[in-house]
Amino acid sequence: MTENIIQVKNLTKQFGHFTAVNGINFNIKKGEILGFLGPNGAGKTTTIKMINGLLKISSGQILIKDMDSEKYRKQLKQIMGYMSQKFSLYPLLSSFENIEFFGGISGLSRKVIKEKQEEIKALIDTAILMQKTSDIPPGIRQKVSLFVCLLTDPEIIFLDEPTSGVDPEVRRDFWFEIYHLKKMGKTILVSTHNLDEVEYADRMLIIHRGNLLMEGEPDRLLKEYGKNSIDDLFKEAILSEDKQHSEVTR
Amino acid sequence: MIKLDHISKRFGDIAALGDVSFEIPASQITIVAGADGAGKSTLFKIMVGLVKKDSGQIYFKGRDIGSDFSQITAHTGYMPERFSLYPDLSVEENLNFYADIRHVPHKQREERKHQLLEKTGMLPFKKRRAGALSGGMKQKLSLSSILLSAPEFIILDEPTTGVDPLSRLEFFNIIEDLKKEGKTIAISTPYLDEAERGDYIVFLKDGHVFKRDSIENLRQQFPAKLFRILPDGNIFDIMESVKKNSQLSESLYIRGKYIKYLQSGQESLLNLIPHREVEEEKPKLEDMYIYYERLAKKQRT
Repeated sequence: MTENIIQVKNLTKQFGHFTAVNGINFNIKKGEILGFLGPNGAGKTTTIKMINGLLKISSGQILIKDMDSEKYRKQLKQIMGYMSQKFSLYPLLSSFENIEFFGGISGLSRKVIKEKQEEIKALIDTAILMQKTSDIPPGIRQKVSLFVCLLTDPEIIFLDEPTSGVDPEVRRDFWFEIYHLKKMGKTILVSTHNLDEVEYADRMLIIHRGNLLMEGEPDRLLKEYGKNSIDDLFKEAILSEDKQHSEVTR
Repeated sequence: MIKLDHISKRFGDIAALGDVSFEIPASQITIVAGADGAGKSTLFKIMVGLVKKDSGQIYFKGRDIGSDFSQITAHTGYMPERFSLYPDLSVEENLNFYADIRHVPHKQREERKHQLLEKTGMLPFKKRRAGALSGGMKQKLSLSSILLSAPEFIILDEPTTGVDPLSRLEFFNIIEDLKKEGKTIAISTPYLDEAERGDYIVFLKDGHVFKRDSIENLRQQFPAKLFRILPDGNIFDIMESVKKNSQLSESLYIRGKYIKYLQSGQESLLNLIPHREVEEEKPKLEDMYIYYERLAKKQRT
């Protein structure tokens, strides 16, 4: 296998006449943290969902461990974990019940589910784990969501805006968890609106209007474009794409 | 403009707000900053009478309103977190609809619509269906809808949450224009970068205010020195290694590739952190949030 655990080739997604993702190419290296930036509606979530098999590809190809993502969808699903925006736990179920439910649909045995329920007790207070997840503090809900996402011990982890709306302190704690996962050899893709966080990533991507605008190591990109902060880099990328777009449509 | 006095609210077992007091000064921008679940929306809903408070008083322009919220709502434009636009109506039709329900006189209507669309840069999209607008544009249309009745007090509940950084900047430009027109604005947000553009700030966590003041005062009276440290090595590993020293780790946090060090006393512990560069920095609201939040936590325990 190449060092690229995921290869995205000419990936396109159309919803009717709308092109959400427009022939993008990039790779994800094994064991890296890849930061994924772009405005709302840029195509981030659509891209993630095509990679992890939740959305069908319109054209192009995705290779995961050199296997075609649509042909080997079932096998590949086993090695990927996904934490969606606003971490979708069932609000009326407790954390324990959520683990049982998601463990069940991921094909974990009863025994393993029991073990996992024991395991989380070491991280979070049992009384809280028994409450409906709608009633627990968002910071803890986020922890539970990540735990659920890791139930099957996936090699590749997709975190879609895991830190939006959380406390500055909790947001930082979460990055320690992400780094911990990297140390365990996991490959991680993280999308975020908190631009400072991209500096923790090994490499970053910026997409807008379905087009890939920048790809590379954060430090190298800052140097290349002569910018002092990711904020400025982001602005530059988005505004130049907007300008091009308005010239084309004119 | 508004004074909240010892407001508390419980939902069953959950204390949503515990003894919250603060004032919203006239013709200024007041920011209520906090994460999801801090109680921001409950607070705003109580102010406009959508949620009943358990205890506490609300004063509008110096008068206790008792339970007569029309004293507030008659002068207020309130934009909830999920403002309902009609996706099948055009931008203009949405504005007409809100003008109708707020009884905006027909004579003034056209002029106001035009002004608002111009101010928000939405004029070219007058005929576009609201459902086909981008997230940032929807927020601008929602804001225009509540401004049609020319309220003097504007309450915006998380207008920029989930909106991308560039559209957020633009939205705040409009808010600053409104302030110049003399409007009083209360706005809640989880983003502390944009909060810098307010005049007065209330830090809210778990239903409690842990710090409130004018932003100017906060900046002048911040009691700690702040240093920005470029670590010599992996930032997470270094943070892990200094954890054993609790005095030190309590004053450290990460931001991007830098470690931030808040020095409260005379003694500097900088040398305990393997570093390549150190620079003293002006603290931002995010630094202050972390400082006062940790302080409040320490005082509780």
